[in-house]
Amino acid sequence: MQMAASKPFYRSRWWLPAFSVVLGLLMLGAFWIGGDVGSGFAALGVMVAVGALFLFGGRSETLRGLGGPGRDERWAMIDIHATALAGMVLIAAIIGAFLVEIASGGDGSPYGQFAAVGGIAYILFVAILRARS
Amino acid sequence: MQNEVRQLRTAMGLSQQDLGEAMDVSRQTINSIEKERYTPSLPLAMALARYFGRTVEEVFHANGRE
Repeated sequence: MQMAASKPFYRSRWWLPAFSVVLGLLMLGAFWIGGDVGSGFAALGVMVAVGALFLFGGRSETLRGLGGPGRDERWAMIDIHATALAGMVLIAAIIGAFLVEIASGGDGSPYGQFAAVGGIAYILFVAILRARS
Repeated sequence: MQNEVRQLRTAMGLSQQDLGEAMDVSRQTINSIEKERYTPSLPLAMALARYFGRTVEEVFHANGRE
């Protein structure tokens, strides 16, 4: 039923801001290891700004839904559909890049591997979800 | 899906925000249900019907699937 006693962590207003900052710190670490500290701090700054946008984004339903507090079953449906559409766009872009890479005389890397990961993951999850439904 | 949510809600003097808080969904979700843009899940439909003291069939009307 809808009236749960406690809300899951991803409905906390702190979830996405905290995730954004952690991701920014990981990017800073990666840039640091790569010898480009300046770009690392720039990336961290962008991610902190993104987190602040979600934390102080006001009453926007889109921001509240993406950020966590506004998530309910309708938002879950929106999220699933948006993820599926974004996935299709990503797959189309990967296939396009794969074809361009091959036409340019390359071996299709790394787009062929990305496409394989996407295709295998899709088939795997279809099988798992079918078995559980 | 056609429904009587708006009529039942206003008859109880509730705002969409009030009903959304009672159902643990957003005001916009209640608005979408009332405008028949969003079909609620069975648990939410049952919770709404129970909240209004009605049966699910009295609150929601499945067009062409009766």
